[in-house]
This record gives sequence, C-alpha cells and structure tokens, in this order.
Amino acid sequence: MSQSALATVRSRTVFAPLDAGGRAETVARRLAQAITLGLLLDGECLPAESQLAVQFGVSPVTLREALAMLRDMGLVETRRGRRGGSFIRVPDQAQATRLEPQLRLLSLHDLRDIGDHRAAVAGAAAQLASQRALDSDVRTLREHVGRLRGATSRTERRRADARIHIEIAAAAQSPRLTRQEMDLWSEVGDLIWLPVTGDQVAVVTAEHEELVDAIGRAGPDQARRLAEQHVRGETERLIRLRLEMDRL
Amino acid sequence: MSQLTGRCTALLDGITGRVGQVLSRAEEIGVAAESIAGTARATGRELRRADFAVLRPLVAGLLREQAGLVAGAGVVLAPDVAADAPRAIEWWWADAGSRISQLHVDTDPGSAECYDYTTTEWYREPERTGRAAVAGPYVDFICTREYTFTLAVPVHGGGRFLGVAGADILAGQVERLALPGLVHLGRAAVLATGPGRVIASNTASFPPGSVLGRPLPAGLVPVAGPAGRDRSPGLLPWTLLSTC
Repeated sequence: MSQSALATVRSRTVFAPLDAGGRAETVARRLAQAITLGLLLDGECLPAESQLAVQFGVSPVTLREALAMLRDMGLVETRRGRRGGSFIRVPDQAQATRLEPQLRLLSLHDLRDIGDHRAAVAGAAAQLASQRALDSDVRTLREHVGRLRGATSRTERRRADARIHIEIAAAAQSPRLTRQEMDLWSEVGDLIWLPVTGDQVAVVTAEHEELVDAIGRAGPDQARRLAEQHVRGETERLIRLRLEMDRL
Repeated sequence: MSQLTGRCTALLDGITGRVGQVLSRAEEIGVAAESIAGTARATGRELRRADFAVLRPLVAGLLREQAGLVAGAGVVLAPDVAADAPRAIEWWWADAGSRISQLHVDTDPGSAECYDYTTTEWYREPERTGRAAVAGPYVDFICTREYTFTLAVPVHGGGRFLGVAGADILAGQVERLALPGLVHLGRAAVLATGPGRVIASNTASFPPGSVLGRPLPAGLVPVAGPAGRDRSPGLLPWTLLSTC
C-alpha cells in the first residue's frame, strides 16, 4: 500500500471522528441494556432528544442515530405530535414470537458458546460470592429471589432473574464480573426465558433459591456447581428449542 | 499506647478525616435540600423534582474540589416526596474530563423490577438510624459501575424523612489514600469495615473485597478504630488490623 493510500485509510478508520458511528452504537447499547435490565420501563417516555444528547455528551445527530438503531431493534417507538416523543418498548411474552427470528440467527454452536461464557461468569461469581458475601448481601439476594417467585409475566421473571445474577456478581465484589453479567443479560436475556413454560417456571425459581442458599451457607464449591448446572440447563433448553425450529 | 498503636491510630485518623471532609460536604448538600423542601412547605407549594436542580452548583463545587476522590454526589428522594416523580435520583457525576453530567436512572414505583434504591444500604441506614452512613465498598452497577463507597446523610423536613444526600467515592481512591501508610508500617496491616470487609491491605493474603471472618485470621488483631485497643470512636466504623 502506498504512503498516501495508507494515510487515507488511517484517517478514515483509526483517526475517524468518534461521532461517526461508534458513539451512536455506544449510546444505543447503553439504552438497550437499561431497557433489558428493567431500568427503563415499558411505555416510559424518554427525555427530549436535545436533553438526552447533553446527558450522554454526544451530538444531537449521534443521538438520533442511536434512537434509530433502538427503533430497528423494536425497543423504542417514536410518536409525533403534541403527546409525541420516544417511548420504551419492552418485548413481553405477547411479543415472544418476535424473539424467535433472533434465536434462529444463532447457530447451536453460538448457543453452546454463549452458554459456556455464561457458566464461566455465573460459576465464578457464585463461588466468590459465597466466600465474600456478608449477611446483608445474602439478604438482598433473597429479596430478589422473592421477586422472581412473585413474578407473574415472562418479562418480570426475566428481569428478576437478571437482577439476581447481577447481584450475585456484585456480591462477589467484582465490578468486572458484574459488567460481564450485565452485558450477557442484555445480549441474550430475552432468549433465556423463551423456552421456559408451565411447570418449568417453578423448577427454575427453585434453582435460584438453592443457589442463593448455597451462597449464604458459605459453600463455594457447591455454589459454583449449582450456578454452572443452572446455566447448563438453560443452554440445553435453548438448544432444544432451536432444534425444534429447524424440524418445523 | 505502644508505638505501633500510635502510628496505626494516626494513619486511620488521616484516612477517616479525609473521608469525613466529604461527609461534611454531603451534609451541606443535605441542608440545602432541606431548605428547598422548607421553602416549598412555607409557600404551600408542592415539591417538584426540578426544584432540586438548584443543587447542581453546590454538587459541582464538591466534585471540583474533591476531584480524584469523589465520583458523584447529589440527593435521592424518599418515595412520594416529589409530587411529579414518585421516586427520584438527582445525582451528578464528573467524567474523566471533569465535565459534570446528571445521572439518568429511571425509577418507577409500580414496578418491582426497576432499580429500587430503597433497599440499598446507603438509603436504608440513614433512614433507619437518622444518622450519616458510609455504605460499602460495594459494586455500584447503576452509577459508577465500579467498586464504590456511598456516604449518605438523612434529609428531614416537616417531621418526616425526605431522602438522603450523599457522595460516591471509588474504593480504589480510598486505597490510594491508605496504601502508602500501610506499606510504611513495615508489617502485615489491613484496613477493614465494621463487618470485616477489607478496604485496603499491604498483604496479598487479604486482598481488597475479601472478608476477614470470625474468628479473625491467625495473628491479625485490631489495633486502631472502634474495635481497636485504643477504643477511640472514629468518624467511621473502620478498623486497622495488624500483626503484633
């Protein structure tokens, strides 16, 4: 490559202004994460675009780009007019069918690999949490398991489940593991509860109770084993569902 | 008082004194929040979330003055204190370029899954005791996304608890305050919270975030702090432990 060609490639890639795309994706990812973790709720109106742009420290153009990405993902709906604005859309069980194309895009290889990553993070987090959680941390975990038990919709269960795993990583005193759990849950969290039906809800809830009990009783090996087992079960369910899709 | 106890006490006082400075600034924010609420009460007006926007210069001053130590600060309102927002977090943080931004966390009381801060240690403790609390270190996955302490003071008005005013300090910054002194002691030494969570330590055997547990690991004894031999109640329930 000639010197001038190299200079052109560099200025277009390495030294391209951050506003040119990366920042919009970062903003979209941050908002999508907040939506899937339940920090932003279904039907909620986002602040004005100009205000959001200031808060994120990006240009209005970048912010609009990020909102367009979220619209494409079906997470935001923009309405015009006096009562207009950008509204949060959370996929619920009624919209579970929307998730199936998302699952279809993943190969069994992908699902197995995501499962391995989740098991590694959840297993390590559970083990460390059982060594490092104070009584107050375990109480918090139990509260969130209680919320999972009391949940009445797929969306509620999925959010309570995400919160439990994020709180376990937090109880492990690891910001890195916590961020990994947050990223994993925003990436595949919607899929995790997709194949859970009927009687399985009680089983999955019981698995979380058992896991938190193991963390509370200071049994690091047991906690890791239960967390890994729990994730493996979820991965197998997803793989079975994915296989069924191909048979249909 | 032995020489070791004296040195440990001085070290601990230095650290808690520094954190105490931040706590008194959080108290100022609390007083300002009480006065905002008081004005609304006196004029018979409903308290609104936007009323607390005037705290921004005070918080910005704290973030500037304590840059490198304080990561964020503001007020968090108790449920139904603001007429237009059943729950509200008015919190600001400084980014790497010292730019002040407002934290954007949406909270909805109708939903059990949203970020319910009323269950956090930094909210519950001042509410329960009516006194300042130092929560953490804990992984703050909402605001700083880091290992953090939150200093919180209760805000009262009209005979009720209105919420807390507070400030976030990254745990790494407290370690930075403590470590040179700990290393200088020349023997294994650990700074820990009341329940025994390690804040900073000069030995790889007790890394930050680990729990000392009861009974204490062999050889380690409290030397300064509430559980220390000097018995002087410090600003914070933190203890300095060392080998004798």
